[in-house]
Amino acid sequence: MTKPPLLATRAVSKHFGGLKAVDEVDLELAQGEILGVIGPNGAGKTTLFSLIAGSIQPTSGEVLMRGHEVSGRPAYRLVRAGVVRTHQLVRPFPNLTVAENVTVGAIHGAWRDEASPRARAAEVLEFVGLAERANELPGTLTLAGRKRLELARALAIVPLVLMLDEVIAGVNPVEAMKLAALIRRIRDERGVSIVMIEHVMPAVMSLSDRIAVLDHGKKIAEGKPAEVAANPLVVEAYLGKGAAEEGATPA
Amino acid sequence: MDRFVDLAVSAVLLAGLYATMAYGLGLIYGVLRVVNLAHGGVIMAGAYLGWILHGWAGLDPYLSIPLVVGATFLLGMAMYRVLVRHLPRGPAGGPASLLLLFGVWLVLRNVAYLLFTGNDQVIRTSYSTHALPLLGSFVSVNRLAVLAIAVVTPALLHLVLRRTYLGRAIRAVAQNADSCTLVGIDVERIYTLTFGIGTALAGLAGLLSATIFSFNPGFGSGELLKSFVVVVLGGLGSVFGTGVAALILAIVEVFAILVMPSYLTAAVGFVMLVLVLVLRPGGLFGQRVLG
Amino acid sequence: MRRWAADVPFWSAVPFVIVVAALAALPLSLRISPYERNLVTVAFLMISGALAWNWMGGYLGQVSFGHAAMFGLGGFVAARLMLHENPAPAPIAWLLGGIAAGVFSLGAHPMLRLRGPYFSIATIGVGEASRLLFTYWEEFTGGASGVSLPIDIGMKARLYWWALGLAALVVTASFVIRRSTLGLQLLAIKADVDAAADVGVNATFYQDLVMVLSGAVVGITGGLWASFFSFIEPADMFGFDRSIGFVLMSVIGGVGTVLGPVLGAVVFVLLRQFLLASYPQLYLGLYGILLILIILFEPLGLTGLGLRLARAVRRRRRAPGVVAAP
Repeated sequence: MTKPPLLATRAVSKHFGGLKAVDEVDLELAQGEILGVIGPNGAGKTTLFSLIAGSIQPTSGEVLMRGHEVSGRPAYRLVRAGVVRTHQLVRPFPNLTVAENVTVGAIHGAWRDEASPRARAAEVLEFVGLAERANELPGTLTLAGRKRLELARALAIVPLVLMLDEVIAGVNPVEAMKLAALIRRIRDERGVSIVMIEHVMPAVMSLSDRIAVLDHGKKIAEGKPAEVAANPLVVEAYLGKGAAEEGATPA
Repeated sequence: MDRFVDLAVSAVLLAGLYATMAYGLGLIYGVLRVVNLAHGGVIMAGAYLGWILHGWAGLDPYLSIPLVVGATFLLGMAMYRVLVRHLPRGPAGGPASLLLLFGVWLVLRNVAYLLFTGNDQVIRTSYSTHALPLLGSFVSVNRLAVLAIAVVTPALLHLVLRRTYLGRAIRAVAQNADSCTLVGIDVERIYTLTFGIGTALAGLAGLLSATIFSFNPGFGSGELLKSFVVVVLGGLGSVFGTGVAALILAIVEVFAILVMPSYLTAAVGFVMLVLVLVLRPGGLFGQRVLG
Repeated sequence: MRRWAADVPFWSAVPFVIVVAALAALPLSLRISPYERNLVTVAFLMISGALAWNWMGGYLGQVSFGHAAMFGLGGFVAARLMLHENPAPAPIAWLLGGIAAGVFSLGAHPMLRLRGPYFSIATIGVGEASRLLFTYWEEFTGGASGVSLPIDIGMKARLYWWALGLAALVVTASFVIRRSTLGLQLLAIKADVDAAADVGVNATFYQDLVMVLSGAVVGITGGLWASFFSFIEPADMFGFDRSIGFVLMSVIGGVGTVLGPVLGAVVFVLLRQFLLASYPQLYLGLYGILLILIILFEPLGLTGLGLRLARAVRRRRRAPGVVAAP
């Protein structure tokens, strides 16, 4: 019998009234993998994330972690099981310093190793390059800085799976490259498996081992980045009917 | 059966008053996202204003409506200009504005103590004891007049909000203040006026109450909480919703007399307040938009 | 807001112990009159109550206008236990009163998903409903005539140390909570419940925990209060003014700090004593004005004012004769 995947969804759906925000989506994430999730605006990507991370209940289907069902558990319990997400709009605790923000995350990851929350927070801040700003308030950071803080706070939990919702979007190109490099290091150096929603195509294409494409709540394609980019269904979803025949690629 | 009709009639009469108070509170919250804890203080102030005008100038309480409404309107605008304007809004500023306006209430109460002592007062007119036969029961003329005003006022306000430029501006600011700045609406002015209008409604409610109930400087705390119940139940700024909610509250309160000692009926409103808040997870005032 | 995060450093444990010891020795000197001793006892009780309120209002950001419910319940449960035919020893009665109040506050669990003003308004409802219901329940609270305990002069004097002990304990607890990871998580919940859940904080559990602890301590304070005054009535113990008192003390002193509610309680008790004696008709309004001024100009109250002064002095000392750059 093969080992069950680290994280999987089985025909998971979420309906809001008549709207099928997520419609029977199957996903699998292997240990050490980076899975990109792309799709046009309103395709249901963030809803899918919320389903996996436990902040909303699926209408049907299930979320499995190493073969055990975890769907519908409250968010904090999924975090303690190792599934950690970040948000598209970063939400640092404005009344806590950068170091304290990260320490809050480290409290509940502490069972995984011996380091004290504060020590781990310091180590993680060093890793993301915010060590010098440790005693400042998050409000003093740039957007890219706050995104790093969000990553640090998530990493302090020592996640098994990190779910990144548009971490790169919105920052300038130089910062975007640095953030992409940081995400790769999170996987390579810390062994964290990653699911990422991203609109910045060059980044998601180069980072992901595999890409899943959502459109209108359904998974319409899945595969290696090059395969997905060449898939006519994907091109159509992004550029509308007819575009595929002209051989355009999503950009 | 007679008892039932009596109670039903007094519930309807009471509901008008509740709706007027609640509408003012809901309007201010809907537009500014500020919970006006001084609302009860203004209700009390309205009662005393009417009492002074009646006692010292011999002015009939119904004739003094424009004066009381005008005075509390100015009071509300001043409260906004001098105090509320300087606070952060939204969730972050929530406790701050709550405490600030609570301070205003304490000051208002204290001023009333200094001026009028803590004795109970009531506005008595020549027609206070007149009653008309209605549905087999007798209804006080004064209470009918209060109900009429309480029905006309929110209806008028509804028209203002729907039909006039000012009303449209207020509704626009309630939905998105930032874009209003972009299209040239003076948002601060709208806030000031809204606070004034909401406060004036409290003043009017206070004046009307004073013709029915006795009051002292502590008057208004129960009224404030009842206004909360109505706003929470009825949704934001919807005249219809406010009216229905006020009726529900009044009916529950009035009919509670049948099943519990009269002393405890006041607790019914408080219990309802908590239940409604807890059972409506959308938050205090729901998501309904003004109009 | 950062500046108060460490307003009391760890070394302050030393002066704290000295201050507590000095206060404990105070009634032994002949200089202090019974009147003064009683005033200080009341201040100790108010310090405990204000700090416990502050765990909710300051650390967790849930401003309660209903803490009188726990104060009253603790007081009356303790009083009834002491009046029982097999009277409970006072400390046991106080403790059980506190436990009753803690259990009672757990009943507010469904209210905890309300935040900000919504929560505050619901607490007004709970507080006022409790006042009416408990006043009505005459077998328990004596209704309008209240409950009298046998007057015990010796106990009244000893309560000075009991109240001091309680206050010292609550100050220590406030400090430990503030400095611990628990305090950090409470502040995270205060800032953003959802984001706190995203980093694994069980917001529901911690809110319940703090609410029960806060309610229990306020309940114990109510029990000591009952013993101290030998007479309690529901209109006062459950009164809205009591709830407001806890809010005012914390806000005047500096909400969310450890030092603030202590200062606030002392000022509150002294001001009340002075105003009730000299200008009884001004006392509410003065608190109102104080509240308005603090919210507008110094959200951290007296503590904030002190920090501001300390900074100004330090700046002047560091750069004599030099105009400070902005």
